[in-house]
Amino acid sequence: MRVVIAEDAALLREGLTRLLEDRGHAICAAVSDGDALLAAVAEHHPDVAVVDIRMPPTHTDEGLRAALQLRQKFPGTGVLMFSQYIETSYSAQLLEGGAAGVGYLLKDRVANVAEFSAALQRVADGGTALDPEVVSQLFRASRQRGGLATLTPRERQVLALMAEGRSNAGIAAELVVSAGAVEKHVASIFTKLGLPPDESDNRRVLAVLRYLGPANA
Amino acid sequence: MEEEIRRVAGIILGAPLTRRTRRELLYSGFGGLAGVAGFCLTLVLLTTGLTVSVSVIGTVIGLLLITVALRVSRRLGSLHRRLLRRLLGHQVEAPPRFQPGSGVLGRLDRRLRDRAAWRGVWYSLIKLPVAAVQLYAIVLTVFGLVDLTYPVDWLLFHNSSRGNLSPLAAVVPAPFGGRLEIYSWPGTFPAAIAGAACVVAAAWLARGISAADHALVRNLLGPSSMAERVSELERTRTLAVEDSAAALRRVERDLHDGAQMRLAALAMNLGMAREKLDDDGRPDNATVRELIDAAHRNAVDALADLRDLARGIHPPVLDSGLASALATLATSSAIPASVIADIDPRPEPAIETIAYFCAAELIANATKHSYANQIKIKIYTERRRVLRLEVSDDGIGGADAARGSGLAGLAQRVSTVDGRIDVVSPAGGPTIVTVELPLRA
Repeated sequence: MRVVIAEDAALLREGLTRLLEDRGHAICAAVSDGDALLAAVAEHHPDVAVVDIRMPPTHTDEGLRAALQLRQKFPGTGVLMFSQYIETSYSAQLLEGGAAGVGYLLKDRVANVAEFSAALQRVADGGTALDPEVVSQLFRASRQRGGLATLTPRERQVLALMAEGRSNAGIAAELVVSAGAVEKHVASIFTKLGLPPDESDNRRVLAVLRYLGPANA
Repeated sequence: MEEEIRRVAGIILGAPLTRRTRRELLYSGFGGLAGVAGFCLTLVLLTTGLTVSVSVIGTVIGLLLITVALRVSRRLGSLHRRLLRRLLGHQVEAPPRFQPGSGVLGRLDRRLRDRAAWRGVWYSLIKLPVAAVQLYAIVLTVFGLVDLTYPVDWLLFHNSSRGNLSPLAAVVPAPFGGRLEIYSWPGTFPAAIAGAACVVAAAWLARGISAADHALVRNLLGPSSMAERVSELERTRTLAVEDSAAALRRVERDLHDGAQMRLAALAMNLGMAREKLDDDGRPDNATVRELIDAAHRNAVDALADLRDLARGIHPPVLDSGLASALATLATSSAIPASVIADIDPRPEPAIETIAYFCAAELIANATKHSYANQIKIKIYTERRRVLRLEVSDDGIGGADAARGSGLAGLAQRVSTVDGRIDVVSPAGGPTIVTVELPLRA
């Protein structure tokens, strides 16, 4: 996997570089601000970019704005936002254009190298990796809109894991149940949320986005 | 009844002999002279300034002259207040200090909208007739005293056997008017009586005009009206709110860039180390050790960051009093610093905190810019009402409250509790910064 890293703290930038290289990924570039990120992606066309949200010069949301531009200009490159905070409005903006190839993780998650690496891989492959924090915030934000109220606690758990970007097998492993049980829950969620079965694979993403994403995509 | 009349007459006629009258006459003399000088200076500067600034080319010079006039007006104001205090013992508080703006235009704007200075200009203009009366009282006194001496003069100098010298002329100033020509000793009596009348009249004139002048000074040179006080409070409240918001932002930023970042790196190091240990049971000891070393370093750095941050929010040593807090601060200064403290009674905690951070900032400033060999910190209470902090160094000077953002920031913070800061720092040094704070916020 070819990766570009944008992170202004040298300590973390070098740490990430080392961590990913250790796992056999190629770091095309490690930069420290939004403009350099756009330039690096334009040059290297990586599979995925890891982007810090607060970067120079204003230390507010440069990373997010750069990420939104990346999503528009280079749809083939996955974007994993990487931040010390989870902001609902940031996730909303990020998910506005769809959840494919998008991730938003707390920096804390890097402590679990295997999971972090897996999440990055999912985003690079066009999947989704949302931090449990993001998911719970979105849950809270969308609770008022109803729909979720009809879900059982177990179904809500499953939906949360779907929102994080897990597959049925991954969910089954996490919840220590059979794959069949997960399929049953997923089907029930689709029914309760009013998503009729169709041929497209996007139903999972739609389910997550339509009911968790503030944009109601 | 007769008793009463006698008493009143005694007061009226005895007035010139009182200490109070002497002080009022003295005040009339100096105040009158200062008034005339101030009037001329103000008038010349302002009219020239205004006239010149009418023409396009002269605007710059004109504005410059006007700002000079306004500066002078503040100086004159303090001169008049001081005369009033020294000679008559009337204390009139100074108006709020001038708050310089930033940038050339900002400073000009603040200067031109300096209401205290403009009120001072009014005072200088109105003062002219007052000064005339004051000086007249002096003239009256002088002539009166001279006339009073005539009977004695006559005996001393005109009592010669040859007798008929030219007549002695006595001038009695208006409103008693005219000139008396004296040919004989008894003839000097009317002059003496006129002189006494002048002296008595001058005493009461001086008393009246002093009272009037006092009222003028109080109204025009004293602290502003309630409305101005309110706007001053509004301004400083805004500063206080901004200051605390900025402080919180700074704390957040420090956490984000410091401890949080280091802990994230620490978590990353440990995560990687665990990965290595999990690796097919044959861990690469050297690498794991290196990762744990890095994690350890990050943990230590994060602790240091958090400690600095906590101390920046509230130095624990401050709980045991400002004196020991400043002593601790001095020992950690890069330039040798000494502390002299005499604090009684103890100020409010909020004031102590402000004083402490002022001292810290001033020491840091001196360390960064002054090239000094020695810093002296003096802190003491004055009249049990004011806490005064003096930080002086023997460095190169040239500190400017209007330019240095650090000093300007201090001035803002101090003004939120009605304190003031005074910087004396001529080029070549030494620098003395005085911070004055009330004991209660």
